[in-house]
Amino acid sequence: MSMRSKTQPVAGSFAWLAALLMFFPIFWMILASFKTEVGAIATPPQLIFTPTLENYRDILGRADYLSFALNSVIVSFGATALAILLAVPAAFGMAFYPTARTRGTLLWMLSTKMLPPVGVLVPIYLFCRDVGLLDTRTALVIMYTMMNLPIVVWMLFTFFKEMPKAIIEASRIDGANVWQTIVHVLLPLVLPGIASTALLNIILSWNEAFWSLNLTAHDAAPLTAFIASFSAPEGLFWAKLSAASTMAIAPILVFGWISQRQLVRGLTFGAVK
Amino acid sequence: MQYAPSPPSARPRRSLARFLPQAVLAPSLAATFLYVVVFALWSVWIALSNSTLLPDYSYAGFIHFAELWRNHRWTIAYTNLFLFGTLYVIGATLLGLLLAILIDQRVRAEALWRTIFLYPLAISFVVTGTVWRWIFNPTSGVQQLVRDLGWAGFTFDWIVRRDLAIYTVVITGIWQASGFAMALFLAGLRAVDPDLVKAAQIDGARMSRIYLRIILPSIRPIFIAVMVILLQFAIKTFDLVLALTSGGPGISTTVPAIYVYDLMFQRGQLGEGAAAAIMVLLALLLVLVPYGVWIGWQRRRERAHG
Repeated sequence: MSMRSKTQPVAGSFAWLAALLMFFPIFWMILASFKTEVGAIATPPQLIFTPTLENYRDILGRADYLSFALNSVIVSFGATALAILLAVPAAFGMAFYPTARTRGTLLWMLSTKMLPPVGVLVPIYLFCRDVGLLDTRTALVIMYTMMNLPIVVWMLFTFFKEMPKAIIEASRIDGANVWQTIVHVLLPLVLPGIASTALLNIILSWNEAFWSLNLTAHDAAPLTAFIASFSAPEGLFWAKLSAASTMAIAPILVFGWISQRQLVRGLTFGAVK
Repeated sequence: MQYAPSPPSARPRRSLARFLPQAVLAPSLAATFLYVVVFALWSVWIALSNSTLLPDYSYAGFIHFAELWRNHRWTIAYTNLFLFGTLYVIGATLLGLLLAILIDQRVRAEALWRTIFLYPLAISFVVTGTVWRWIFNPTSGVQQLVRDLGWAGFTFDWIVRRDLAIYTVVITGIWQASGFAMALFLAGLRAVDPDLVKAAQIDGARMSRIYLRIILPSIRPIFIAVMVILLQFAIKTFDLVLALTSGGPGISTTVPAIYVYDLMFQRGQLGEGAAAAIMVLLALLLVLVPYGVWIGWQRRRERAHG
């Protein structure tokens, strides 16, 4: 509802200031990751220093860091692939063949996203223990899929809903069969929507910490569990912890920056386009 | 997909077209149902059973709930949930609204701000919690920085104070969620009818009055939606607290999710853990039931008016 036509210098500088304050903690951590351990805790804090890659070398040199990172990649991509696979047909069906109950079904699914995971922790832990899924990547893939499925279905639904339905009928009239319609007409249209939904799901799974801390110990533990297990940063290890943390969030920072619109749309559940 | 009456030969295909969309929905629905309903009911069962170290599904009544409420740490955790939830929701809503109004004044590079303000929500809470732990730490963070700048008597040691540590969780929570509130408010502000505002401007009303009297009342549904979403974020809070204070100092910043986590893994108390989990679900219902009633009331009103 901006009714002002000119850029407001006062509001602009306030926005700058607010954004700086918002981003400062993350910026400070990235900065610390390039300092020496002594430099990172020096007082007054060093703003000008000779950057070092020593912390990154140390962290990457740890044999287990790569295994944590690999777990993060496998679990978040696996859970995303599975969720997309289940959700695409469901969302497609609801968007193109709506029934009287479609709206209610969607809202019910979306509302389940509010369930605090702690509410189902005890039985799920027992179940995983009994079937031998504790500390496995399979368990995390299944949990993340179940947890994020409602939001994936919802996101895809909002994308499919915006697609022109006439185009499908037109291609059928032009003589294309079902398969040709899907590959040549539908797929190019829906791919951007699927891609941004997948991006959101990867971010959500990448950051997830409740299930990864509760269901894994070491073998299947992703980066979130690794960072959480680090001893308190009061000690001499702040620079290394910063390096590990920076590497853990770097993919999100970069992907998020490249696909800003999708990130915003995803994080606000499609409310902001 | 209603067409003119079809020739008999096309029938099987039609019914398949009706049945298929329902069938492909089934796996998603089943998975959600399993996760939310089946496991939640299973939690209730464990909470009411004799389970302690090992599951034992014989009925025991409410003994675990009684145990739970006798536990001092639990009452702290539940109180913290309400204290944190209230301050966090109010704080993030107000700050988010303020930021949205600021950006609504046509600042340059708006999309950039939106992304920067949303980053705290997009980044692992374990990482941001760790960073804030460092910032709040008296010997390494803000306190030391201000002292080095020359104000030797400055103290900001909330994170090591039992009575104040919970407010560091509130600050971190607000930092993390206000960008989310901002994005939703901004979308709402953009949807306000500009003619209404222009009319008020012509009448000579000041901007502050226009916001208070015209714009904010018209985005009331967004206020409610933002607050409900933030409340359920608050109820889920786990990793942020774990990374920021681990529930300490002592037990002063324990929240229910951390309490259950400790019961499960340090004391192996299944029944009491499940009972605590049920209390968390009840807290969620406390939010959702009034919201549902409000939504229903809104719909009825709309129908009555239009």
